[in-house]
Amino acid sequence: METIKNYLNNMFTNLPKSNQMLKLKNDLLSNMEDKYNELKNDGKSENEAIGIVISEFGNIDELISELGIDLGSEGIILPTITEEEAEDFMVDKKRFGLLIGIGVFLCIMGPAMLILITQLIGDGIIDKGFSSNVGDMLGIIALFIMIVPAIAIFIYSGMKLEKYKYLEGGFDLSTHLKASIQQENNAFTSPYILSVIIGVCLCLLSPVAVLVMGVFKYRAPSYGVVILLVIVAIAVFIFIYYGCIKESFSILLKIDDYKKGNKEQDKEENKVIGAVAAIVWPLAVCIFLISGFVFNQWRINWIIYPITALLFGMFSGSYSIMKGHKK
Amino acid sequence: MISSDVIRGYNDTIILFMLLDSESYGYEISKNIKERSDEKYIMKETTLYSTFNRLENNGFIKSFYKDETFGKRRTYYRITSAGLSYYKEKCEEWKLTKDVINRFIKEEK
Repeated sequence: METIKNYLNNMFTNLPKSNQMLKLKNDLLSNMEDKYNELKNDGKSENEAIGIVISEFGNIDELISELGIDLGSEGIILPTITEEEAEDFMVDKKRFGLLIGIGVFLCIMGPAMLILITQLIGDGIIDKGFSSNVGDMLGIIALFIMIVPAIAIFIYSGMKLEKYKYLEGGFDLSTHLKASIQQENNAFTSPYILSVIIGVCLCLLSPVAVLVMGVFKYRAPSYGVVILLVIVAIAVFIFIYYGCIKESFSILLKIDDYKKGNKEQDKEENKVIGAVAAIVWPLAVCIFLISGFVFNQWRINWIIYPITALLFGMFSGSYSIMKGHKK
Repeated sequence: MISSDVIRGYNDTIILFMLLDSESYGYEISKNIKERSDEKYIMKETTLYSTFNRLENNGFIKSFYKDETFGKRRTYYRITSAGLSYYKEKCEEWKLTKDVINRFIKEEK
């Protein structure tokens, strides 16, 4: 019965809270309750009963037009999104999240492979016959094998999502569709929170790998770093994948950052942060490679990644806050 | 199942018919419609309440609260005399419609 109440509440969220509406809502609820109870008495399961009641609810837009409610369209007619479009968008956004997640995962795995291979050869676990030059070459090749497909994925998925650019220009959803997306969004909240918790925990635990490996033998911290990078890569993948799904709801429901009016500013903000990211991260990779190959500092230079991540996080966080205050 | 587009113009008639003999409330009416139509027509909740609203605004039905024996308060509906004559009008209209449409329906032999 809770599900039915929530469903009805969602349907009425965007409607005026007049006495007339309240009465109507109560009548509908009592009607649905009667139907639900009778279905249960007929021996239907909880889920079946809820399914039938909701499927026989109908379309809230019918009531809205009958009651002549003006939902305040602000005088501008925005393109209305159909159920299929919304569905397509959510599916594509989810795939986008998956691809970008894999891409970033590969980008982090690249250096991890480089370190791993270099270390394995250094330890003589892979063939001893290689000269150190060949060993370095193998590491670099592994790095590129990881990073090149990642870049291809970025370009491909970016272009796939291009066709939804029109959503930025504003759009309208039917109340019915909005309510059902709202429902999905609410259902997604706990998996999302769980994913963030898991991601953060993985990040916090990852240095443990370095410490544990450090205990074993002299050379082992490098393996620890590899494990650290793998754990971080998994965490980042989780953040991106679940974040993209969450974002697809936010865009469609125009919540969080996607409310009208903030759009221009947010765009600018995202542009600046994006530009900084485009400089800072490749720079970090350059420093990592140079310090490794030229100065042979493999043992410590991985620290550039966590440091860059922290600095970048600080920058984008404080930049957003400062911009927010200027409003 | 009948599509709601086809039947739309006759939701008023159906509900008024259900109120001819006695006053009733939302769920009872929708249940009776379902039974009377051998489950071929299930009126959606939103259709039901749109129709109630329209009929009441036109003065064809009157709503009032009634407390059930076990304490639940329900909105009941009663047909008015204006509703009764509207119902008769709609019946005549349907006879005419049926007659006209039938002339365009090819009988399968």
